[in-house]
Amino acid sequence: MNLLDIELVSVSKTFANMSVVKDINLAVPQGEFVSILGPSGCGKTTTLNMIAGFNAPSCGDIRVRGRSQIRVPPERRNIGLVFQNYALFPHMTVNENVAFGLKMKGAGSNEIALTVKDALRSVHLEGYGERYPRELSGGQQQRVALARAIAPRPSVLLLDEPLSNLDLKLREAMRIELKEIHEQLGMTFVYVTHDQEEAMAMSDRIVVMSQGSIAQEGTPAQIYRDPKSRFVADFIGKSNILAVSDVKPNGKTAEIVVGNDVRLIARAPDDDRPIRYCSIRPESVSLGAVTASGEDKSNRINAVVRRVINLGGSLEVLAQLSEELHLHILVRSSRSTVAPAVGETVALGIDAADIQTLAE
Amino acid sequence: MTRVISILFWLSLAAVLAFITLPLLVVVAASFSPTATVTFQPFEWTFRWYGDLLSNRWLDPFLTSLKIATVVAATSGVLGLLAAYCIVYERLPGSDVLMSYLLSPLSVPQIVKGVAIVLFLSMIGFQGFLGTPALIAAHVVLALPFVTRMVATSLANFDANLDRAAQILGAGKLQRIRHVLLPMIKPGVLSGVTFAFIISFNNIPLSVFLVRPGDSTLPITVINYLEYSLDPVMAAVNVASMAFILVVIFLFEKIGGFSAQIHGGSK
Repeated sequence: MNLLDIELVSVSKTFANMSVVKDINLAVPQGEFVSILGPSGCGKTTTLNMIAGFNAPSCGDIRVRGRSQIRVPPERRNIGLVFQNYALFPHMTVNENVAFGLKMKGAGSNEIALTVKDALRSVHLEGYGERYPRELSGGQQQRVALARAIAPRPSVLLLDEPLSNLDLKLREAMRIELKEIHEQLGMTFVYVTHDQEEAMAMSDRIVVMSQGSIAQEGTPAQIYRDPKSRFVADFIGKSNILAVSDVKPNGKTAEIVVGNDVRLIARAPDDDRPIRYCSIRPESVSLGAVTASGEDKSNRINAVVRRVINLGGSLEVLAQLSEELHLHILVRSSRSTVAPAVGETVALGIDAADIQTLAE
Repeated sequence: MTRVISILFWLSLAAVLAFITLPLLVVVAASFSPTATVTFQPFEWTFRWYGDLLSNRWLDPFLTSLKIATVVAATSGVLGLLAAYCIVYERLPGSDVLMSYLLSPLSVPQIVKGVAIVLFLSMIGFQGFLGTPALIAAHVVLALPFVTRMVATSLANFDANLDRAAQILGAGKLQRIRHVLLPMIKPGVLSGVTFAFIISFNNIPLSVFLVRPGDSTLPITVINYLEYSLDPVMAAVNVASMAFILVVIFLFEKIGGFSAQIHGGSK
């Protein structure tokens, strides 16, 4: 059985009558990369601060490796934290910054020197030890912050939106690097972010938070393929969310009515809750005019092309199914692709498995 | 129109700068005056008045002032740091009231303060306190608002995330204060201490009530001397103490690096 590094048991946090985190349960096994994902104000940073010990939960328990941390101050939790604004000590060199945690633990100077060197090597900053933080770029500062956090070998590393101050290119490169560092160290990472792409790209598991509660948790693929609510379907990736007016269950599938009169065969719901919406990913819709695969889709519907946007590698098509029913469709485009013309009627194909019914 | 405003701006700036510098230049020139009266003769000058400065008449008050200013700078530095820490950083209950109280000496004229201190000391039977001990206590009261204010400003600019970063890295409270907080606010503390030193070293209105005959501070000795004579020795004393203050500022700047330290250690 996997050891649990972090456990949150019915954790709630109330600030001045405002319930910020509501009854959260979470178990993180050793070595996992977990992302807590949600829009701003969803309680993810508060949750992180409670794990770090800067905020005490109003009720519930937080355990690290089985031990309750409720009365343990942050400096004795043996947790690493990477801050969004880096929070490097400006009056210390890079070496001194990275050495700080080890020094506080009373490590010997030889051990400190070796560990600092190792930590800087793992973030690709060898040779920068004598510089001051202000002499480094934002990306380099973020690496120093990472090296400083991992150097004392904490049991858990918390990362609070560490990439959000970097530009897009650097952010994408850092994702890969963070993932590699995670694999190299085998340390448990808890990554807080509002960027769903970041969470998708790096995590073993994603915990989606909304309004202080966990909306859904699962692997990135599960979260993407089987969103359990309109919120998750909309927040993770793009999705067409359609209101469902009628449902007829039929074994493994169900016939649903969207718009006023468009009938679709959808995947049968997982539970008995009433179905109110369905979600269709833009890339799961095939366009008759452009796909020649001829495979049999469960749903074949005619639609009128209203708008075509060429994104280079793909085409974004807005198709009108009925008076007030539109679908955003994303099709990969290649040299041989003939883009549909605006006003043209095309046949859309959607697999029943790609239509996810939602209760909320 | 903007041109006129611009010309007016530069003219008034030049006037202000001239007003600050020219009187000082006159004193400097007078200190080299070849005659025993204060005159300004650009082509004849002498160093002889500076020789007089080494007599006990000037050296003793200088050393008294130096001693008092040093103790005042150190004491108000420590007290101001502690006060600002409790008020701004720990936000102890009643912080705002405490801050106003600490700043209140600023609103009492120094002469009133001086008279009050003398009366108070004689009332409680501590006349023997007059002289150096009373001067030190009074100057600390005078300097404390400035030091507290300056340290408070640098504490207010301190990024709380740095404290959290140190804490999560295992630093207890005292270690955080020693390794992170103090180095970060060092420039503010040192400029406060410099201020305190200068305030004490130059003070007249408060000191005039508290000095004891034969154990006077430099500015008071200068005032007393001026009552009877205005000669180049006077100018030389003033130039020398001005030079001394500049050296003090320069030294503190060297230790603290007021400007360089703000964005991290100097290279």
